Amino acid sequence: MNNNRYKILVIEDENNIRSFAKAILEANDYQVLTAETCGNGIMMFSSHRPDLVLLDLGLPDKDGLEFIRFLRDRQEVVPILVLSARTNEADKIEALDLGANDYITKPFGTGELLARVRAALRVSRYNGSMLASDGKFTLHDLVIDYDRRIITIAGEEIKLTQTEYNILVLLARHTGKVLTYATIIREVWGPSDDGGVKKLQVNMANLRKKLGEKPGDNRYIINELGVGYRICEETH
Amino acid sequence: MKLQLNIKDALFTIITLLLLLFLNIWMQDMFDTKTLIPMIFVLGVFLISLKTQGYFWGITASLLSVLAVNYAFTYPYYAFDLISPECVASALVMLIVAILTGTLTTQIKHQEKIKAETEKEHMRANLLRAVSHDLRTPLTTIYGSCSAVMENYDSLSKEQQLKLLGEMQKDSEWLIRMVENLLSVTRIDDGKVQLTKSPTVLEELIDAVLIKFRKRCPNQTVEVEIPEEFISIPMDAMLIEQVLINILENAVDHATGMTELKLSVTTKDSFALFCISDNGCGISADRIDKIFTGYFDRDTSPADGSRSNMGIGLTVCAAIIKAHGGEIHAYNNSSGGASFSFSLKLES
Repeated sequence: MNNNRYKILVIEDENNIRSFAKAILEANDYQVLTAETCGNGIMMFSSHRPDLVLLDLGLPDKDGLEFIRFLRDRQEVVPILVLSARTNEADKIEALDLGANDYITKPFGTGELLARVRAALRVSRYNGSMLASDGKFTLHDLVIDYDRRIITIAGEEIKLTQTEYNILVLLARHTGKVLTYATIIREVWGPSDDGGVKKLQVNMANLRKKLGEKPGDNRYIINELGVGYRICEETH
Repeated sequence: MKLQLNIKDALFTIITLLLLLFLNIWMQDMFDTKTLIPMIFVLGVFLISLKTQGYFWGITASLLSVLAVNYAFTYPYYAFDLISPECVASALVMLIVAILTGTLTTQIKHQEKIKAETEKEHMRANLLRAVSHDLRTPLTTIYGSCSAVMENYDSLSKEQQLKLLGEMQKDSEWLIRMVENLLSVTRIDDGKVQLTKSPTVLEELIDAVLIKFRKRCPNQTVEVEIPEEFISIPMDAMLIEQVLINILENAVDHATGMTELKLSVTTKDSFALFCISDNGCGISADRIDKIFTGYFDRDTSPADGSRSNMGIGLTVCAAIIKAHGGEIHAYNNSSGGASFSFSLKLES
């Protein structure tokens, strides 16, 4: 066994879900720590410094959102993947806005769980940015050249407006992380903008069209209906 | 609300009484007799008791009628003579009519309410029975297969075990979908819960639907035709997503011989029209009328214990579209196969 395995902390009060998540993750060569309560989770986090946290929102002692708040208040950048039985978009958005990286809705399959875990860990490996040493971001055949502010797909240049470029770069900088509508609007248009979601949706529709994406076949930007967007290396 | 009702009742009472008063004055001139007058007022009191809430207006009307008869139609004319035994007797009769009618109407209204509640209960009981029955089959498979694998772990071949586990997985997935549908339908059924409508980009909706559908039915391709321009529709995206997936899955499950499945959206006036059509076996005539209500109407479960053919999915679709103020239809195509279409109002 190698000692450089990723450490994953699973905070979940349901015994069965904890044990099956542990089984899948261990079978895929991750080291797994578990906690049943929010308080216990914070203790485990402080003493073991895991690389990723899988967090259930409905914990017996405190809401899982408290855990996210606790970590982000302390400038911890560890990726947090929320497990949620709630199908309500508002809860997901709240968790994401507090600083969770991604969410996965119960019930979920093993493939889905592993894909999200890999994506979240990849982000932390690049420390929040996929900027390679040559100042370029690469996703499949899409390349963002930050220095020259040029986007190419399979070597061919794609003409984007300033706003479209900014959105794409923002998503690329947070690869694997779901960015909510509110976050993108704040980052791209600034905090005082009240243009709203529609402006973003229109720009996003144009951007996706220019990238040649079709419904059901998105290679670059994944749409989380009613929540936000993300760039992900693995499509699922 | 209550105040409004009372104003309506008061107006009704006053107008009826006035009309009857004029009618009486006119009749008195026409027929030169007074025998009709009290009868007409009794009719008025009866009508008012019937149409207004509670006893108040009926009793008020009866007292006013007595006063009117007393004042205008009995000797001494155009003066009150309230102590004559005749007057007291007619007042009593009017009062009794008012009170009895009031009691009767209240009773009838109460019974109607009970009847409506019983019907709702009956529907719920049907749903519960149908659901319990539908849940039992996959649960039996899951429980049985689990036990089979655990108890015969060493004697079963790896292939046999995988087969059993695969069936368990499939049935669990079916259960998940069932529960999702039930959650949606109870969310709407409450009546109190408002849909959380937000402007949704058509392309993003279709994208989400296709990705989810592909996960469930990886072998079925869907041909998509949507307008090029940017279209935003106010909707509860989660629920409409479910409608589309339910209809697509219904086609996969029931359109025998299907080779093409098409999802198209067109806009007309201020509506977006969604249409899902297949080229399968179509819907049989005896089913097509009840296709959206079948799950509730079903009094008996299929005796062979098979899964409900037209499961809960389409019933949920109809409920969701209705809650959005749209319409859903199912019909057979002239060229073969079936189509489902529904409309949603575009952003104003």
